[in-house]
Amino acid sequence: MGFKEKYYEYQRPILGMASVVGLVILWELVFTYLIPLNPFFFTKPSLIAVAFREQIFGGSLWSDLVISSKAFISGFSLAIIVGIPIGAVMGWRRRVEYTLDPFLTALYASPLVALAPLLIVVLGVGLVPKVFLVFLLAVFPFIFNTAAGVRATDRLLINVVRSFGGREKDLYLKVIFPSTLPYIVAGARIAIGRGIVGILVGEFYAASEGIGFAISRFGDTYMLPEMFSAILVLMIVAVALTEGLRKLEVVLAPWRVGQEAR
Amino acid sequence: MNTLVSVYREREQTILGGGFILLLILAWEFIPSLVSLPRGLSLFFTTPLTVVQTFYQLVVENKIQSHFYISAIEFAVGLAMAIAVGLPLGLVMGRSRTVDGMLDPFVTAFNATPRLIFLPLFILWLGIGIWSKIVIVFIGALFPLLINTYEGVKNVDRVLVNVVRSFGANEWQVMKVVVLPNSVPYIIVGLRLAIGRALLGVVVGEFFGASKGLGFMIASAATNYKADVVFVGVAIFMGLALLLTLPVKKIESKLTRWRPEAAKTF
Amino acid sequence: MVPCIQARDITLTFKPKNRDPVAALKSLTLDVSQGEFVSIVGPSGCGKSTFLNILLGLIKPDTGEMRLNGKQITGPGQERAMVFQEFGLLPWRTVLANIELGLELKGIQPSVRRERGMELIKMAGLIGFENHYPHELSGGMKQRVGLARALATDPEVLLMDEPFAALDAQTRDLMQAELLQIWDRAKKTVIFVTHSIEEAAYLSDRVIVISARPGRTKDIIKIHLPRPRDYEMRLSPEFNEIKAGIWSTLKEELITKRAGDGV
Repeated sequence: MGFKEKYYEYQRPILGMASVVGLVILWELVFTYLIPLNPFFFTKPSLIAVAFREQIFGGSLWSDLVISSKAFISGFSLAIIVGIPIGAVMGWRRRVEYTLDPFLTALYASPLVALAPLLIVVLGVGLVPKVFLVFLLAVFPFIFNTAAGVRATDRLLINVVRSFGGREKDLYLKVIFPSTLPYIVAGARIAIGRGIVGILVGEFYAASEGIGFAISRFGDTYMLPEMFSAILVLMIVAVALTEGLRKLEVVLAPWRVGQEAR
Repeated sequence: MNTLVSVYREREQTILGGGFILLLILAWEFIPSLVSLPRGLSLFFTTPLTVVQTFYQLVVENKIQSHFYISAIEFAVGLAMAIAVGLPLGLVMGRSRTVDGMLDPFVTAFNATPRLIFLPLFILWLGIGIWSKIVIVFIGALFPLLINTYEGVKNVDRVLVNVVRSFGANEWQVMKVVVLPNSVPYIIVGLRLAIGRALLGVVVGEFFGASKGLGFMIASAATNYKADVVFVGVAIFMGLALLLTLPVKKIESKLTRWRPEAAKTF
Repeated sequence: MVPCIQARDITLTFKPKNRDPVAALKSLTLDVSQGEFVSIVGPSGCGKSTFLNILLGLIKPDTGEMRLNGKQITGPGQERAMVFQEFGLLPWRTVLANIELGLELKGIQPSVRRERGMELIKMAGLIGFENHYPHELSGGMKQRVGLARALATDPEVLLMDEPFAALDAQTRDLMQAELLQIWDRAKKTVIFVTHSIEEAAYLSDRVIVISARPGRTKDIIKIHLPRPRDYEMRLSPEFNEIKAGIWSTLKEELITKRAGDGV
């Protein structure tokens, strides 16, 4: 392959990396040589890098991450355990869908985070309100996506399995579940973002630990490089989880590639 | 009797759904009077009727209007900015592979991260006035619009583009005649998502570091154990969400009839 | 000798919600002998596929009886297997796993299943594709998998619902020839629904013409062509006469259908 062909194939990642690197370099150069850096207002990559290293190798970043993760994982798991069965029943039985859908849609449309202060006042400060908040926010994508997945099951395949002697449990295991799985993974992808919002709201508002708290504290004390560094860490985690799930979707459902938007 | 059955059959969906909500509201209203609550809970428990009363009171005493006004401005300006930036950018990214490649990592990264995380930064930069909220709303609403426009443009049928090109159209005409109409369903879906995100942005933006607005009203009411005010605020947002997204949804379903793949899940 | 399949007075009316009921089949009566290859043709909507589904056991008729070897059909059973027009392959399973589906549902051990599955892979000409997924296959190959799957449980009766309709003409011809070979070797009873008179005449011992909706048996035409049949037969004058005969009966029903549709 010549150079030009190789370029076209890898065009996207090359351009992507080039623009990110370019931005970082430009950022550093501008604030080192062109514009004086007001440390109370902005920062530059070299300082962020230093802060990052410090936080990784000695700071409280790890413990903060662990604390936030614990709450996140608990709430997220709860959302899965509750959301998927509800969604499955909704997808399978029309009547249940008719009954629950308007209520759930109204809940989904309303900013449930608005209840956060109330929750914290009720449940106190600490792990419990965070877990509950994450659960509240993350459960809906699971419910709706599972329902959509079950509803979208190809009736033909149900008939096929029945015609070969499949019973009810075979239908669930061999058709409905594999068919719904990609939808559930897509729901998980969306739920992650919403769950992180839950953690952040919980921690910005009334917490004394956790990565959300750390970020807001850095802001209050004008520790900008540390703040950027923490934000960067969270961004990396969010992207890793989201893109990881996206790859998982493709693996689980190669026949549906090209059918999903972001 | 038969007419009752046939009425039910026709409206089954609304009856079941509406009935369920009604049931919940009634339960919420009457359960506290039937069951005595643990003391901690009763401190700030409230019932639908109380919420309605409080709402009325707030309106009459002109306590809620200024908050509403501020939140509305933040919402509208942020959303307008998101549309103004997101649509053209989405179009360009969809048509130009170069721009797409260059911006892709940023779009992916910022889309995956909850916008809320930047709030302390924006407060640091913009203070606790309306601008930090507007920026949060802007970023929140930007991505659905951007990404959906982008998908709409990218997914245009190659065959149609070639057909129009074969009649001698230039890039601009191709855009106008084929790409834009094809993208409209996607854009509408993006708009619906953006509205939801924008509302969310207003709420959370005003929780932390604000002195006015409905979100602030909710947050301060919560700390003062005024649960009824909290629910007034939540209800207002819920109502706004439904009010704003329902017409968009109607338009969306009309438009996605011929482009079903545009109406993807959330 | 009891005919393999006996349909007596089969009547079925669909009653969809919020719409008028649709009479699909009315007093349809039909016999099929063991080892016969029978085609069913008729205008669209005459109930051919519905009839197959009743045979399969997925739908119950309102009145009438459907018997297999004297016993009434009450549900799916492994003496009958269907090949579907839209293939119906489970997209998340490999070719081999798809073929093994019937055996798996019967509770057959994996090692035994695998052996039988590979036999069928060989027979269907799919060697090398065992671990491919359906979306990687062409239409013709997908239907080969469908056919292999149906044969895996060694059913007595093969039900085929316009199996080659979604394939291009050349693949269709190929599959028809292969089907005849398989049928000849395996000695199964085949009930083949199709829109194509040519296909029906070429493949079958008898062609059953169903009337326009509601469907009942209009005419039964015996195909006197010798077996094994080859492609040249399709070019012979006898074949054309046979086709003309089927067509004249079918034509009446098509006209009736058009009138019924208000065209």
